[in-house]
Amino acid sequence: MSLHTALVKTEEGKISSEKAKSFIISKKNGAESIFVGRVRNENDGKKVTGVTYDVHDQAVIKSFQSICNDAKNKFDKSAKIFLEHAKGYVPVGEISILIAVGVGHRDEAFKICRYILEEVKHQSPIWKKEHYTEGKEEWLPGHSLRPQEKIK
Amino acid sequence: MEIQLKLYGSSKLLSDSETLLIQLPENSNVEKLRNTLTKIISEKHLKSNLTGLSKTAAFFSENDEVVNDNYKLKNKELISIIPPIGGG
Repeated sequence: MSLHTALVKTEEGKISSEKAKSFIISKKNGAESIFVGRVRNENDGKKVTGVTYDVHDQAVIKSFQSICNDAKNKFDKSAKIFLEHAKGYVPVGEISILIAVGVGHRDEAFKICRYILEEVKHQSPIWKKEHYTEGKEEWLPGHSLRPQEKIK
Repeated sequence: MEIQLKLYGSSKLLSDSETLLIQLPENSNVEKLRNTLTKIISEKHLKSNLTGLSKTAAFFSENDEVVNDNYKLKNKELISIIPPIGGG
């Protein structure tokens, strides 16, 4: 198996970088690239305590598989890819997304990792609600899936 | 006719429930749904910072595919509203 994608419900568990490393390891691979996205304590001048991730489960999993397969076809079909994203409340400092890639050479390892991250941000139906120290919360703006010419 | 609108992201400010029932004239399409949503937001949710949602959102059918504005809605159909996305 060369591809693992999942949503991790935060009330049931955490995203594990050890699990990702075990998944991608192979004697055929000379390069591994791992991207870890974490919730940070500040955004746009506001002090953040955590982020709630809302997701459209089925569409997200479909998009993850499609993005990863596109990445393999584009850069290296033999790549081993691990992609997990959190669903639910993630406090500051915890992992929201983890992408791990094992492949023959470094160039493809970096490119696949970056490609997947950018495509997830533009294709996968995931939303962030930030929670702030003063008790307020706010849904963050994002990228519309509606064709731009239709948005007047 | 009525449809069930499954709420995601910022659209959850429209209701405390997971879905919002929306009454529409017979044979309505997604464009009519957008117009009705604009009206609901301007009448009941002006303070919730949702202006523009009905224009920027996409809509998914029950098989999780984007439907265009000409898509004919069926009575009792479950449609997901997909506000602008931004994971990671």
